[in-house]
Amino acid sequence: MTNTPLISLVDVTKTYHLESGDFTALNCISLDILENDFVAIMGPSGSGKSTMMNQLGILDVPTTGNLYLDGKDVAAMNAFERTHLRRDEIGYIFQKFYLIPLLSAYENVEYPLILKFKKRDTTGRASEMLAAVGIDNEKATHRPNQLSGGQQQRVAIARALVNDPKILLCDEPTGNLDRKTGYQIMDILCDLHAKGKTVILVTHDPKVAEYAKRTIHLDDGRIAET
Amino acid sequence: MIDIFFELAIRSVRLNFTRSILASVGIVIGVVAISSMGMLGTNMQLEVKDQLASSANTIVLSADAVRMGPPGFSPSSSSTSTTSGITKLQLTKIKQVVGTNGSVIPLYDTNTEFTLSSVAGRGTVYGMDSNDVTKFLTIDNGTNIGGINEVLVGSSIATNFNLKIGSRIRMGSDSSTSRPEVRIVGILNARGTVADGVSTDNGIVVSRDWYTNEYGGKDEYSQVNVIVKNTDDISDIETALDDKINTDKKTPAIRIRDASSQLDTISSTLSTVTTFIMAIGGISLLVAAVSIFNVMMMSVNERVQEIGILLSIGTETGEVRRMFLYEALVLGILGALIGGFMSLVIGYCVVNAMIGTTAYFFLPASIAYIPVSMAIGMVVCVISGLYPAWRASNMDPIDALRAD
Repeated sequence: MTNTPLISLVDVTKTYHLESGDFTALNCISLDILENDFVAIMGPSGSGKSTMMNQLGILDVPTTGNLYLDGKDVAAMNAFERTHLRRDEIGYIFQKFYLIPLLSAYENVEYPLILKFKKRDTTGRASEMLAAVGIDNEKATHRPNQLSGGQQQRVAIARALVNDPKILLCDEPTGNLDRKTGYQIMDILCDLHAKGKTVILVTHDPKVAEYAKRTIHLDDGRIAET
Repeated sequence: MIDIFFELAIRSVRLNFTRSILASVGIVIGVVAISSMGMLGTNMQLEVKDQLASSANTIVLSADAVRMGPPGFSPSSSSTSTTSGITKLQLTKIKQVVGTNGSVIPLYDTNTEFTLSSVAGRGTVYGMDSNDVTKFLTIDNGTNIGGINEVLVGSSIATNFNLKIGSRIRMGSDSSTSRPEVRIVGILNARGTVADGVSTDNGIVVSRDWYTNEYGGKDEYSQVNVIVKNTDDISDIETALDDKINTDKKTPAIRIRDASSQLDTISSTLSTVTTFIMAIGGISLLVAAVSIFNVMMMSVNERVQEIGILLSIGTETGEVRRMFLYEALVLGILGALIGGFMSLVIGYCVVNAMIGTTAYFFLPASIAYIPVSMAIGMVVCVISGLYPAWRASNMDPIDALRAD
């Protein structure tokens, strides 16, 4: 582990051009996230949390300013390179789980491996990941709509981890779960952080944010406090 | 290993199976229309070719009566002589050229009405030497013409009018002043489509003398058939005949043709008609293309969020495009397989009903229409899926994920 930031935002501004006029969702944000950091991002609706997640997840690029991931300027990359960076370096965990409905739990976890290696997984990595989050072989054959919310989120975590990314980007991971299951999911994330992953968490819930090492409050597109 | 994107495409089709099948119906109809029409045309061509092959050893010479001229041109006022048939002098020249390499058969023919009791009919009357009859015609029942009023009739006339040996028919229409009665002494074998210009199935063969007595035109033959002994000599004899008779190359007096030239003409006509009918069948594929396009757009619109997931977790745009093209291809394969099988059944029935034989149905030239039309159906599907696939792959993952 080094002290060089894994993710570095330098004066990042994101402006959307709307019919009613320009809207600045992120306003001159500068932030460093080190490797094995556990950061919670909080803020009211419209504060820029989702825009921040899109930037950190390389789903979008800043209007002005720079975002560096592992020292590489994201804006300088082409779409193809950004796609591969998302596939290899970032694991996404969404509030609505976003599993692929046509695939079984196992196939959902296997999918990123197929994207990366262009072949079906013969190493047992997908099964290993599912077992690690508590999904047994029988459940692994089920389609997402045959699983409970907690089970779906576990499968989503397994999918996020299967390519061994450095960063876990979690957008309200407990938002669609009951309190008990939510805590179980947070325990898994804490465990992953303990194993060296960098976890970035967006949440409304202060109890969930307490799991993080530090919390960043966003307000009106700016960092209010850290 | 099956590509995961092909797997996803198959699952998507399976999930919306009824809709997919309905979309493929257009492809099924298109494939059946194109292949059935194609096979029908090809089977017709093959049958005609086979029939014409029976007279492949025959050269047909006819007077080139069609003379084109400037506006106001009238044969009677022109200095160019127009003959209504092959003259005696030309016949002599033909015989000289052919010599012992074949038989020369001069023929008269005209179209006429005849009546049996009060039932009227129409057919072609051929006048020829009785000795020439058996050189190229086969008498199925009865004997050759001998007496002046004796005739042979074709198989179709005999069947349609229930004619038998000894039956008598009157030549000419009811209004004719002269309606000589003739007696049937023989019924000819069916000849079908022939290249020698003597289609006796719906004809009556009379003696040369009876013909010229009745219709005139003595020594002005309608056509002269040359049956050569060796078919390899046909083109040499044709060249020699052309040199000897058609001395004025700009306005040849005699038209010389054989089975191959007729086959070319018939094949070309049938081929044009077949292509035209196939093109009409192809219109159903256009309709199918719209239907496939519609279903593919529905599939893309229903799966916006899924596309967002795929793109956000690192799926390349080309892979998303491939997934939807596979889906269009699966619809195409589905339609093509059903269409191919139905083409086999329907095509067989159509060919049997229209031509009366399926002897040529399984020949490569005919059966090849099935895989070709199946391939066209699949290509149409993939083309229809191009825009939906492009649209899916170019979605913004953020917007797509937000979609409900």
